[in-house]
Formats: sequence, C-alpha cells, structure tokens
Amino acid sequence: MIEAIHINKYFGGNHVLKNISCLFEKGRTNLIIGQSGSGKTVLMKCLVGLYEVDSGKVLYNDRNFSAMKTEQRKMIRQEIGMLFQQGALFDMMNVEENVMFPLSMFTNKSIEENKDRANLVLKRVNLENANDLMPSELSGGMRKRVAIARAIAMNPQYLFCDEPNSGLDPQTAGVIDHLIQEITLEYDITTIVNTHDMNSVLSIGDQVNFIYKGELWWQGTKDEILETTNPELNEFVFGTELTSRLKKSIS
Amino acid sequence: MYKFLHTVGDYVLLMSRVFTRPQKGKIFWTHLFNELQSLGVESLGIVAIISTFMGAVVAIQTAFNIDSPLIPLSMVGYTTAQSVILEFSPTVISLILAGKVGSRIASEIGTMRVTEQIDALEIMGVNSANYLIFPKVVACLLINPVLIVFSMWLGVLGGWIAMEASSLVTTTDYLYGIRYDFRPYTVFYALIKTVFFAYIIASVAGFYGYFTDGGALEVGQASTKAVVSSSILIILVNLILTQILLT
Ligand SMILES: Nc1ncnc2c1ncn2[C@@H]1O[C@H](COP(=O)(O)OP(=O)(O)O)[C@@H](O)[C@H]1O
Ligand SMILES: [Mg+2]
Repeated sequence: MIEAIHINKYFGGNHVLKNISCLFEKGRTNLIIGQSGSGKTVLMKCLVGLYEVDSGKVLYNDRNFSAMKTEQRKMIRQEIGMLFQQGALFDMMNVEENVMFPLSMFTNKSIEENKDRANLVLKRVNLENANDLMPSELSGGMRKRVAIARAIAMNPQYLFCDEPNSGLDPQTAGVIDHLIQEITLEYDITTIVNTHDMNSVLSIGDQVNFIYKGELWWQGTKDEILETTNPELNEFVFGTELTSRLKKSIS
Repeated sequence: MYKFLHTVGDYVLLMSRVFTRPQKGKIFWTHLFNELQSLGVESLGIVAIISTFMGAVVAIQTAFNIDSPLIPLSMVGYTTAQSVILEFSPTVISLILAGKVGSRIASEIGTMRVTEQIDALEIMGVNSANYLIFPKVVACLLINPVLIVFSMWLGVLGGWIAMEASSLVTTTDYLYGIRYDFRPYTVFYALIKTVFFAYIIASVAGFYGYFTDGGALEVGQASTKAVVSSSILIILVNLILTQILLT
C-alpha cells in the first residue's frame, strides 16, 4: 500500500502537482489517468523519490519515505520495480544482461543462479530466445516486456509503470496491460500505472485516479467512469471521435 | 554570476556522489577495464598523427628561424624537445582529448539521462553518479598520462623525421640537442599537468552529461558545453600550474 498525502510540486513558478492525496492499494492495478502534461509522470516520480516533493509526504506501508535519508531509501528502492515510458533499457547491454543487472548489483548469488532467475522472469513475460539481442534490435512490445522482466526480477512489492503501452499498436498494448494485471495478482503487489489510453482504463482500472491540470479531480473504478457526470472527465473519456460516436449510438 | 555559482555548487555536489566507494567492486573493475580499452584505443590514432606533425612543424620553424651562425643547430633538437614536452604534448593533446573524449562522455551520459536510463539506475538503488562517472574519471587519470608520454616520443620523433627529410639539421646535432640540459623534472611537470587536465576532461563532461535536460537536441548542446568549458578550464589551470611548478 502506498499513500500520498497533500503532495505539492513546483518547477520554478509552475505549480505542477496541487495538493494531491490518494491511496494505492495492494493487489490492485491503480491507475493515474489524465491528458498529456497533466502531471502523471511528475506524480509518479515524486512517489518513487526521483523528484523531491515541495510539501506533503509519501508513505510505503506506513513508512514515511519522504523523510528518509538516501541510505534508508535505498532499502525501499529495492522493493520497487519501475517500467519507464520508453523502456529505459541499458543500451550497452543485451536483454539477458539488462534483466540480470539488478540481480548482480544487489544480490550475492552466483552468475548461474542470476541467469536462472533472469530466464524465469523472461519466460514470465513470454520472451524466450531473445537473451542475446541488444535493445536496439527489439520491437516496441519486446522492449516493454524486457523492461517488465527487469522490473520484476528482484521480486518487488511495488510496481510502477509510466505509460506502459505508449507507442504500441492496440493489440500489443492490450497484451502488455494484461501482463501487468496478471503480475499484480500473481505476486500480490501494489501496482500503479500511468496512462491516457481509455482501452487500458476500461480493461485494468481497478482503481482510477483522474488528474486534471495537476489536481486530483475524480476517483472511482473502471465501471463508474462511464457513468460519470464530471464534465472534465467526460471530456477526457468521450473526447475522441470513436468514443463520442459510440456514446451517441448507445444513448 | 549567480548562475555560475549555482553550476559550481551542482558540480561539487555531484562530485561528492561520484567519489564514493563503488557498490559492487567487480562491476566497477569490469567497467574500468572497458573504459581504459575504449579511451585508449579510440584516441591513439589522433594523438599519434597530431603529435608527429606538431613535432615536425616545431623543428622546421625553429631551424628556419636560426640564421645566426653563433647559435648551434643542435638548438633545434633542444627547442623541439622542450616545447613538445613542456607544452605541446600535455596541453595541446589534452585539448584534443577534451574534444574527443569529453564529447563522447557527455553525449553517452546525456543520452542515458534523456532516455531515463539514469532514473532506472536510481530506482534500483544504484548511485548512478558513481556508477557512470567514477570509472570514466579513473580511466582518464590512468590512460591520459600514457597517451601524453606516447605523444612526447612521437613529437620528438616527428621533429627528427622532418630534419632528416629536409636535411636542415643532422641526426647527430638533433640528438645532441635533445639530450642537452635534459631535466627529468620537465617530464614530471608535464605529467602533473596531464593528470589535472584528465580529471577536468572526464568530470566536466560527466557533469554536463549527467544534468542534460530534454531530448536529443539537449544532448548535443551538453556535449558542446562540456568541450567548451573543459577547454577553458584546461587553459586556466595550465596557467596556474605553470606559475606554481616552474617558478
Ligand atoms: N523536469 C522538469 N522540469 C520542469 N518542468 C517539468 C519537468 N517535468 C515535467 N515538467 C512539467 O510538468 C508538467 C507535467 O508533466 P508530466 O508529468 O510529464 O505530464 P504527463 O501527464 O504527460 O506525464 C508539464 O507542464 C511539464 O512541462
Ligand atoms: Mg508522462
């Protein structure tokens, strides 16, 4: 469980996060949705401490992460897996080395044991026989899978995904979404996903937090979101040609 | 002025994170070894070419300017060796390396920043500053002196080839000039300078790369800034060290 309490974040004079409080529960995929530039990435980076909050605090299972020193944070960081928007694979390493990296950095196991673990998680994301490929040789969907494998290699308690299906075709995007949801249930972890894709929202949105211009504007589930009367959320959900036509034809 | 102090502050803070004990010794050694290899191999060619030609030009110009019969022709060897060892090799080659190695370090680390690879390291709990910059600084400190000594040899050799080819000065005179009043201290002095310059090159490039903000365009700008700043610093530090060490 992760809790954000009255978080504020400024970049110079730009007030990017405005007093955001929300709860992300264990065993669920918690979504943060909103338009591009609404502050999703900044919120996620504040939660994991890549950006410092200007006020407010972040709790990991009631442990006050915001008040911790670097060394204490490192302990929590090892319970965190994160999937970045472009994958953020290390370009100089092949697939296997990428997945093995956190293992060889933070465990004292033998290379063989780490290799086994890497192969296990690569198999979990349905990516076999790609161990020797370099990141530049992978397709978008494969990159995301490797990144997920690397994120779960250390058996994290918390999984963060920043727009996991950006740049993917709808089918592949769906596969990645479901993979994330399965992993969440299987390992019973706290998962937080940033997205602006309504397909993801409707398929994996156990808990949805809608951010509008840096404010937490609406909270609910994927089923409640279709009934919403909130005008800004309505605009976001039914803003595209496809969804607005569908809505008309239903009503 | 405020911005300048701010930059210096950021640099000092970054260096305090760079100079810590690597989290995993084995990974550090592998990194260092790879860096040594790529830095050394990458720069060998350009250092060889520039040093040889530089030595040749210095020798020819010196020979050309001696028109008084009172000055012995062995002065050509003496002057070439002195200028190559004291100044041309350590400073000019370091400036070349600032361009070549500095821009590569800055763009490599900058690319890692804008593609969130540095964030990925931090999330795992890796001290990314230490992990990325420390091996490069150590590699430069180790390999640059080797390159500079290599450059000194080639500079003097280049002068000799030029004198042989143009028959301006005989080999005996040239060799006599090189050995004349040769003080090992000059080589020591040059290597001290080289070590300072090597540190400037790697750490300044690491700094600009590490704090790149934006995309591909900013990576290019970061590497330009790295080259300009480290070149200026090299020239300033050169002046200061020359004052301290030679007076
Ligand atoms: N490192 C940064 N420095 C300054 N401003 C930033 C930075 N990162 C994000 N911002 C600003 O914060 C706002 C939210 O950005 P972001 O969280 O990336 O949006 P998104 O919801 O698309 O992920 C934007 O206005 C952006 O310009
Ligand atoms: Mg974003």
